[in-house]
Amino acid sequence: MKKIAISFVLSFLIAVVSFAQLDRSQFPKSGPAPEIKIGEAETFTLDNGLKVFVVKNDKLPRVSFTLVLERDPLLEGDKAGLTGFVGEMMTAGTTNRTKDQLDEEVDFIGASLSASSTSIFASSLKKHQAKVLELMADVLYNPVFPQEELDKLRKQSLTGLASSKDDPGAISARLTSAMMYGKDHPYGEIETEETINNITVADIKNYYETFFKPNIAYLAIVGDMDKAEAEKVVKEYFASWEPGDVPTFTYETPKRPETSVVGLVDRSSSVQTNINIVQPVELKIGDEDYISSRLVNQILGGGSSSRLFMNLREDKGYTYGAYSSISSDKLIGQFSANAAVRTEVTDSAVVQFIYELDRLVKSGVTEEELEKAKSNLAGSFGRSLESPSTIANFALNTERYNLPKDYYATYLQKMNSYTVEDINKTAVDLIQPDKMYITAVGNGSEIKDKLAQFGEVKMFTNMGDPAKEIQMTDASMTAEKVIENYISAIGGEDAASAIKSAKVSMAAEIMGNSLVIDMVFDDQNLRYGQKTSVMGNVMQSTTMMDGKGSISAQGQTIEMSDEQYEEGKMSALFLPELYYEDLGYTLTLDGVKDVEGTPAYKVIIVNPSGAKMANYYSVESGLKIKNENEKAGDTFYKDYQEKNGVLIPMGWMIKSPAIPVPLDAKITSLELNPDLTEADFK
Amino acid sequence: MRKFIVLGIMAGILSLPVMAQKKIEFKEFNLDNGLHVIMHQDQSTPIVVTSVLYHVGSKNENPERTGFAHFFEHLMFEGSENIERGQYMNIIQGRGGTLNAYTSNDITYYYESLPSNELELALYMESERMLHSKVDETGVETQREVVKEERRQRYENQPYGTILPETLKRAYSEHPYQWAPIGSMEHLNAASIEEFQQFYKDFYVPNNATLTIAGDIDYKQTEDWVRKYFSEIPMGKKEIYRPNVKEPKKTEEIRDVIYDNIQIPAVIQAYNLPPKTDADSYALSMLSTYLTGGASSLMTKELVDKQQKALVVAAIPLELEDGGIFIMYSIANMGVEPKDLETEIDKLIKQVQEEGLSDQDFTKLKNIMENNIVSSNSSMAGIAENLAEAHAIYGDANYINKVMDAYSKVTKEDIQRVAKEYLDLNGRVVLYYLPKAQQPAQ
Repeated sequence: MKKIAISFVLSFLIAVVSFAQLDRSQFPKSGPAPEIKIGEAETFTLDNGLKVFVVKNDKLPRVSFTLVLERDPLLEGDKAGLTGFVGEMMTAGTTNRTKDQLDEEVDFIGASLSASSTSIFASSLKKHQAKVLELMADVLYNPVFPQEELDKLRKQSLTGLASSKDDPGAISARLTSAMMYGKDHPYGEIETEETINNITVADIKNYYETFFKPNIAYLAIVGDMDKAEAEKVVKEYFASWEPGDVPTFTYETPKRPETSVVGLVDRSSSVQTNINIVQPVELKIGDEDYISSRLVNQILGGGSSSRLFMNLREDKGYTYGAYSSISSDKLIGQFSANAAVRTEVTDSAVVQFIYELDRLVKSGVTEEELEKAKSNLAGSFGRSLESPSTIANFALNTERYNLPKDYYATYLQKMNSYTVEDINKTAVDLIQPDKMYITAVGNGSEIKDKLAQFGEVKMFTNMGDPAKEIQMTDASMTAEKVIENYISAIGGEDAASAIKSAKVSMAAEIMGNSLVIDMVFDDQNLRYGQKTSVMGNVMQSTTMMDGKGSISAQGQTIEMSDEQYEEGKMSALFLPELYYEDLGYTLTLDGVKDVEGTPAYKVIIVNPSGAKMANYYSVESGLKIKNENEKAGDTFYKDYQEKNGVLIPMGWMIKSPAIPVPLDAKITSLELNPDLTEADFK
Repeated sequence: MRKFIVLGIMAGILSLPVMAQKKIEFKEFNLDNGLHVIMHQDQSTPIVVTSVLYHVGSKNENPERTGFAHFFEHLMFEGSENIERGQYMNIIQGRGGTLNAYTSNDITYYYESLPSNELELALYMESERMLHSKVDETGVETQREVVKEERRQRYENQPYGTILPETLKRAYSEHPYQWAPIGSMEHLNAASIEEFQQFYKDFYVPNNATLTIAGDIDYKQTEDWVRKYFSEIPMGKKEIYRPNVKEPKKTEEIRDVIYDNIQIPAVIQAYNLPPKTDADSYALSMLSTYLTGGASSLMTKELVDKQQKALVVAAIPLELEDGGIFIMYSIANMGVEPKDLETEIDKLIKQVQEEGLSDQDFTKLKNIMENNIVSSNSSMAGIAENLAEAHAIYGDANYINKVMDAYSKVTKEDIQRVAKEYLDLNGRVVLYYLPKAQQPAQ
């Protein structure tokens, strides 16, 4: 009876609702902001100092364990890059399991296990927790740090570093941190080939033994586990972990410049400029300005409806996207406003950036902007709570930053309470538009002068070092003299012209495969042949002779046009400098440039049909150290050795848009003036 | 005695389902206009996911007008009588939400995730879309351009981007699965505005839709709002067109070469599958994981790590309502001939067909599947989608709670059996993707 009555009442209500004329022209209003129910973390501490947080969430039969070390940032000095290796070295095998065994055992239970220099993470279904904890503990207590794993990581790291030297994003990151923090600060030091090569297994072991201590560690357990069970399993696996003294470090706080300065890295091949306008910000989670700083950034450049995006992309069309960020950090945070813009509009874009920063600080934000920013951030805050790891992070932050217990539970209420005046004050407190490091990575010759209006322009290398003072000390230098010097540096004209032909074989490695490049030069008769093979298969070959040329790849042969042939010829000579004059090439000296730290004369070579390339000759040694070719890429020459009285570079580092990683090729066999037949070129 | 007890306990353990799933609770109701509504309450996070599944995909299209279903996915963001053109996304984002949509051969799915106090807005927005979305010349023109860009970016400009359309074209001779959701640009260009409006009237009707709401909701309030906004939407007048075509079994291999803008050759093999709801689907899905799921899977370990013949190898069961395809693709390592790679793949398939898999591998496989199924219901968005699909495709929203059980019934022998039955070398499609440079002159 009751049921029928209820359903009657219900249907009556419904009828009323549907008969009422629904005004669809009005959007439904938001309901009252929901209360954020953040599962409170329970905590306990082991005798060895390990602090444990348990966030029970039994929605799914899963559980995760995140172990975090809280140590001061490290200055790694001549071993910069060390901490980047620790995590993978820890999971590369233990005294009980090889790396393969470890991987198989993790896969077998459908679990995950990973580590970094300050953490170990493991997760699995509830029923496999004992196994995954056993594996995690094995990694924590018994890592063996195999040498071959270090060699592999080092190789990957060096490959990555090599390609990052030409990556404008990576160059920009190095430039900003070097300017903002200086190289003697943990956040400003930079990994180089040298520091990466300095890292040994003993260093990693030493790091592990120093810092993997329970007294500086937190363990967050999230998922299907309550405190009582957590106490039991944590004791079982982590109580025997020995505490120890861990060193602490302090650093000077980086300062803002008195007045804005410009930092520029000249990357002459750039068609875009990466602009990043930065300054250090003292801001950490829990600071009075922290939550309001999120709103300030959202309005300025947090998304695709923020001021920077609307101005630089939607209104001006300078860029695909312009954004800003204000990061927080225990040591030092940073403000950044950035975009990649077309070379021609570099200065106009910087003007707009500074205009927006000034407008923010001087005129503040509007009520409407603030409301939109609040909804936007509240939405993403709410969505982030779905992931149990967010809750664990909140618990960890509450401890690490000594936050009030209800900091995250009342986060949205706090955020909603900010007024336009509060936001304007935060903007003024955190951002000083006239004390910025304005950094740019782009075509220096086109943008350097235009950037001078924003502050003193300081030049840097692609590794973030101040670029060496690059001035022509010898004003009487000409392109012809550079070439003369080069010829005498390699052994003199007589010895050089005695080399009329050469057979060269080079080897390199690309993504684990060996690659062989065979080249045959016949400078006197203008004949040239080149073959590139991977694992014995010819991938690509080029033949030039009798005034004609062809390129073959994947079984397909293409004849060169006359223009292509003329352009190809520029790179088809073994000692081209001897022939520039005869071939009617125009040479221009374009000053002294920094080539990976070496000052070098840049000579631009143009053939009669207008094709261009550039050679760089070391000011000091006179030797050719780089060839720059828009189509074929850059070649760096190293390791000059004397052959037949002439210095020949035995190492060629080839960077080309056609290959994913730089090719470090070495000459494995070299025959000078060999007997050549036509077949050699095919 | 002791032995008996131990045995008894063991048997007890074994008789329980090996995999256990936490039950997902939900409530359902229908409106008079045929709209089916599923609600799932989860108050742990103050968000709500609202989704509408329209049971229309590329298979419901007129063969002369392919690409319509996907085109509508775009058109439905144009706005409605009360939502200004181009404002649909801005309104949702301005209230702190995110939104998206996708189209398959079988369904079109729209969803938005918002703070839970914005549920009424989400229902209003979806009801506007269902009641009177803008289907006009301006919208059609705008979206034609956008779809053209999408086609360029995702198919034409993307290396190997045409694998799906090229494979479907050959895997089906009768069934409308022979064209991919992206369809034909010519068809879209040729279509009149009346045709678009007719498609909307035919398929975007409440009796062809499933509305799912999952998150921090009050069941009663949610039902009231659903009735408020959706009750006035009229039911579709026609019967929904659903193709009734049985794809004949292939008895001969179809083999072809596609020249694409790529550097490295790829080998594609496709085998026809039973309908998605068939009991063998579970074993086939496990078979694909056994072959290529993860670094320690059979083919990845053998072909990528050991022999280094492939850069990547993947087996994906594209499960469809009327029977999809088991599609395997692999990209050759440098200098490896496609034929050579194909021979090695076939060897491994033969190995599974003849020898089956080890107990160790089978247990590992079960563990991985269990983890995957548990994780698929870890977010509100995942639960909403799984509930909607359970209702629309499996005819029972509670199917969401039966998936684990279905997988736990699969035996080692089943996997070997489906490998033999469905991965039939004589009824498959094989495509070689080769660099355009290798195309013989015409």
